[in-house]
Amino acid sequence: MYTDLIQSLPNVIAWTNLAALVIGVLAGIVVGAMPGLSATMAISVLVPFTFGLEPLVALGLMAGIYNGAMYGGAIPAVLLRIPGTPAAVATTFDGYPLAQRGEGGYALQVAVVSSAIGGVASAFALMLLAPPLSRVTLLFGPAEVFWVAVFGLCSIIFLLGGNIVKGLISACFGVFVSVIGSDPIFGNDRFTFDQLELLDGIHIVILLVGLYALPPVIDLLESPLKTDGGASEHLGTQPIWRTLPRMKGYWKTWLRSSLIGIWIGILPGAGGSMAAFMSYNEARRASKNPEEWGKGEGEGVAASETANNADTASALIPALTLGIPGTAVAAIMLGGLLIHGLQPGPMLFRNNPDIVFGFMWQFLFGAILLVFLGGSLATNSFAKLLKLPRPLLGSVIIILMLIGVYSIHGRMFDVYLMLGFGAIGYVMDKLKFPLPPVVLGLILGGFAEENLRLALRIGRGDWAVLFQNTTSLILVALTLAVITGPMIKKRLLKAKASNGKA
Amino acid sequence: MQPSKQQSSNRSRFLRAETITALGILIGAIGFLFPTSKLPALPSLLPAAMLGGLIILSILMLLSDQRKASTGAEQEPVLKAPRRVFGAFGLIVAYAISVDLIGFYPSTAISLPLVAYVFGYRSPVGLLIATAIVLTAIYLIFGVAMSQEFPSGLLWSK
Repeated sequence: MYTDLIQSLPNVIAWTNLAALVIGVLAGIVVGAMPGLSATMAISVLVPFTFGLEPLVALGLMAGIYNGAMYGGAIPAVLLRIPGTPAAVATTFDGYPLAQRGEGGYALQVAVVSSAIGGVASAFALMLLAPPLSRVTLLFGPAEVFWVAVFGLCSIIFLLGGNIVKGLISACFGVFVSVIGSDPIFGNDRFTFDQLELLDGIHIVILLVGLYALPPVIDLLESPLKTDGGASEHLGTQPIWRTLPRMKGYWKTWLRSSLIGIWIGILPGAGGSMAAFMSYNEARRASKNPEEWGKGEGEGVAASETANNADTASALIPALTLGIPGTAVAAIMLGGLLIHGLQPGPMLFRNNPDIVFGFMWQFLFGAILLVFLGGSLATNSFAKLLKLPRPLLGSVIIILMLIGVYSIHGRMFDVYLMLGFGAIGYVMDKLKFPLPPVVLGLILGGFAEENLRLALRIGRGDWAVLFQNTTSLILVALTLAVITGPMIKKRLLKAKASNGKA
Repeated sequence: MQPSKQQSSNRSRFLRAETITALGILIGAIGFLFPTSKLPALPSLLPAAMLGGLIILSILMLLSDQRKASTGAEQEPVLKAPRRVFGAFGLIVAYAISVDLIGFYPSTAISLPLVAYVFGYRSPVGLLIATAIVLTAIYLIFGVAMSQEFPSGLLWSK
């Protein structure tokens, strides 16, 4: 089962792939360090540029950015109390007080070591769990694949929390966008309005860039955040080997937080920020001196940074094996795989083992690289990045978005379409509609429709074909559990609260 | 005559962002149902299901927001600085149109410093250096190394 994993290693250590990984990690740290930019946005801007690249080079860049950005978010969190990414909020609790007392360098070194440990643990989880899971999913027929798609959509909507109606609207919108273009079986034009450009459907990258890159750019221009930090002048940096002995008491936190991060990553809908908060709370609860937390406890930084990096590769376990991403970034990475003709799901492991297993190695190497690139550079040089003018940064990103989307088919129609999706994405973002269900709807919508119609053809139009075997029934039961579970939990909590009051 | 407080609150109930959005989704979904009805049964299955879902969900969203409004719940402002948001979006659209009309490089040479200047970066030297660096980098990376062709401008081609 793991032979393919070993065999894919020589490919990964080719110098182009390693160079892509190094560039990705550095770019990710830069992106994460800029408040307002996130890994999600960076990867969605990057995806169109990877068309002409070898799949492993493209995936290496993405894996590097994801790993790097998760750590990079800690830099402004520690130095300015502004989380560079949403997942770094919990890092501000103790990181900033440490920087205030002149130990910003130490806090960043704890962050980089913890991020690397979380990333390595996550990569190992991906390597160990994904291959056996993919073997099970290879047994699936069209009816089961249809139910997997339905399960994926439902799980991301209902486990995401927040407003379920809005989650469902997002998913319906995503699925609706997936049906635009020629019908896959009969070839009827659907919602093309005589536009030849729409016949092939809407390219996922156009939607990704519109939804995930345009709203943050407008936010960047909307609020001219001042990022001149005083703390960055007094980092108190020491070589990393000298600070490591000070971290030796953190091993339990690293272990616990890695497990929490991996688990949260696997759960569809939950993301790095939830992992970081949960891990911070658990570490604080287990601490001998919880009263010191929030005043500059290095272990607090370790807890949140380990967990927010431990959910990176693990989010790809359901994404690669079932086509269900655990986080928004994983959803975009699925888009990245699709543009290279790699359909996530069980067949990916059979048809492209060198790429899928190579991608797993890249996550592992990316996490290890963090210590070398982040550790030696994460001090004064990255702190200076915070002073880059945001309006200029916004303008450059707008240009990159246009180049990326235009280069897909070499036509301005796609750019206008992207702007339309950007406007929709901005409104959705402001009104707190979740965005991952839109992407997942677009990815799974077409997939679900094709398999549903295939199953119906096999069953000669009889809908009972969807419920005819045990696997289908298990998937239906899981879908129902995902839908009703949060409602039952809510009711139980309500009942418990009212009992408590009485 | 001044409108009474009750009248103005009734009017503002229908101007709430969520209500307007729900109405927009409802109208859009109903509008798309017409082309859906002209499709054969199986190709229309998924779009019809999604549009039906959107209609029901938008009504639920509308009702939920109106219920909130009837309790007097204030809605948080959606935009912190509406002028800046519309300005930013307008400039991005204008940039795309100008790329189409006058070509990629001239539009970028104008838009990059313009957007940065309008949104608060006022150093002329910084703007000049940034524009030169970005244009040169784009030309070398995309134009030369990747042989990417950009729009040359509809105005010039005519």
